[in-house]
Amino acid sequence: MGTVQTLSRSMTVRESSSEHWEENEFRGVFFQHYARIVSILVRLLGDLSHSEEVANDAFWRLYRQPALQTDGNVGGWLYRTATNLGIDALRVSGRRHQYEEAAGKAGGEREISGPLDDLLREEKCRQVRAVLASIKPTQAQLLILRSSGLSYKELAEALDVKMSAIGTMLSRAEEEFRNRYLALHPNEEEL
Amino acid sequence: MTCIHDGILRAHMDGEFSGAELAGVTEHLVSCAHCRGLFEKLRAERTQTENLLATLAPAADSIAINPAIAYAQFNRQFGTAPEPKATLIARLFAPHWRPAWGLAGLAIVVAILVSVNPVRTWAQRILAMLRVQKIQVVTIDPTTLMSSSEPDSRPYKLINQFIADNVVVTMDPGKPDLVSSVTKATQLAGYPIRMIGSLGAPRSVEVNGETAFQMTINRDRVATLLDEIGRSDIQIPESANGALIAVHIPKTVISTYGDCPVRHRYVSSNPQSQAEALAERKMERMANVKDTNCTYLIQAPSPTVSVPPDLNMSDIAEAALELAGMTPAEAHSFCQTVDWSSTLVVPIPRNSSSYETVTVDGVEGTLITETLSQGNRYSLLWIKNGVIHSLAGHGNSSDALSLAASLR
Repeated sequence: MGTVQTLSRSMTVRESSSEHWEENEFRGVFFQHYARIVSILVRLLGDLSHSEEVANDAFWRLYRQPALQTDGNVGGWLYRTATNLGIDALRVSGRRHQYEEAAGKAGGEREISGPLDDLLREEKCRQVRAVLASIKPTQAQLLILRSSGLSYKELAEALDVKMSAIGTMLSRAEEEFRNRYLALHPNEEEL
Repeated sequence: MTCIHDGILRAHMDGEFSGAELAGVTEHLVSCAHCRGLFEKLRAERTQTENLLATLAPAADSIAINPAIAYAQFNRQFGTAPEPKATLIARLFAPHWRPAWGLAGLAIVVAILVSVNPVRTWAQRILAMLRVQKIQVVTIDPTTLMSSSEPDSRPYKLINQFIADNVVVTMDPGKPDLVSSVTKATQLAGYPIRMIGSLGAPRSVEVNGETAFQMTINRDRVATLLDEIGRSDIQIPESANGALIAVHIPKTVISTYGDCPVRHRYVSSNPQSQAEALAERKMERMANVKDTNCTYLIQAPSPTVSVPPDLNMSDIAEAALELAGMTPAEAHSFCQTVDWSSTLVVPIPRNSSSYETVTVDGVEGTLITETLSQGNRYSLLWIKNGVIHSLAGHGNSSDALSLAASLR
């Protein structure tokens, strides 16, 4: 089986420019995974329509990779690709936010749109996302997927690593996340 | 006992262990203060991280997503309808229409227009070599993996994918022309079209455009395909590697008489209608009585197939026949008797079909009879003035001869 997959993958590399999935199969995968992928991306990006754009991008990339039809790990591939794209987008928007802040556009001009609790929560989300954007993408990916409810097995499939490696990766990622958070927000020692 | 790695402690915290592993870790934690300390540190980090990340969780009602709407938007954004090449290939190689073996003869000549199932088609495409001057029947075992493949099975899909990847269409037949009369069909086709006089006016006459495609045999790819469909026992000769096979099919005319089912002419790019078409075809297969009063007459000038002069057709044909259900010994012995430069080989299912040589239209023809639960189906094949004729219908095979005698 392994041989077959390897061979079919290599064939696709050569020919992928004009290939795509069989429509019905693709539709099935889309229906199965789309909602969950979007909900993970919303955690990263905060904005539903932006998340849907990124999810569509991931599905479009999948559509152009017909070899994955027989790969058996379509879900893993989708989670990996979607969160990679999501983290890229998060980093871009983080940089834009910095520029805007430097130009005096952000912060003080933000409209007060709801009760104080909402504002505080929004600010906390912004901080958490800033930390996620600053750590290694694989660690951010792991944390956001775990936090979205993926099991060790699903995480291993998504990151293409052995299941036995997940515990170590999680502990490293959490340590890094916590340290970075405290470095950026030293006044919140108790978190 | 040596201390436990933090990764194992972390997994233990998430309840990932059971049995002896769980017992081992638990026991060690009881006895080792250092690991207990590490465990607590990890637990604190996990809790802090989880709490912070939990703030990102969207409110459940804020991300209500309807996949059907999302899919429609996705399609609009990216236009995932197949590209022209894929559409054409799908159209050419999809199982356009039934009835299966009643049309066996021409189904093979015009393999790309009529396919009973993919492998048979693939094999037939390889078998229909050079210019057809005579027809020879070979019986195959229809119960093998390949011959009994359903359109939605994995081998079918793999082979269709293989064809889509490797076949280059050089002449697109376009949509068939439905014409009102045989005279009009003659004008369009460019050769005299005949009709079955004793059945009156045809119900429909359809002229299919010229088609040409070519394929370069890549031995490795074929071997991979055979491996994937579980037939790695079949060998493609080394000499065939790199050979370019080009096929040209002139305009063909299909006339129907009586109550004939509507043809599934195109494979839509719309997944929904594809699924519906597939379901409909399955229903038809199950019922398969819709066309008992239907007679087909197909006329097709011989396709021409160009192959390198040094290509040993017999070797390739052997592989194809094995794929279609013959044993290696049968395939080898059969291939020794065939002149591949002029013979159209028609594989028919061994257990339900028989054939005989008859005189028809002043020449020698082959009458294939298939026994079905709802009665016999016949297919009469002959070549006259360079045009392959296939007359297919239900009933006694003698009917075929009398109908053929009324051709004008």
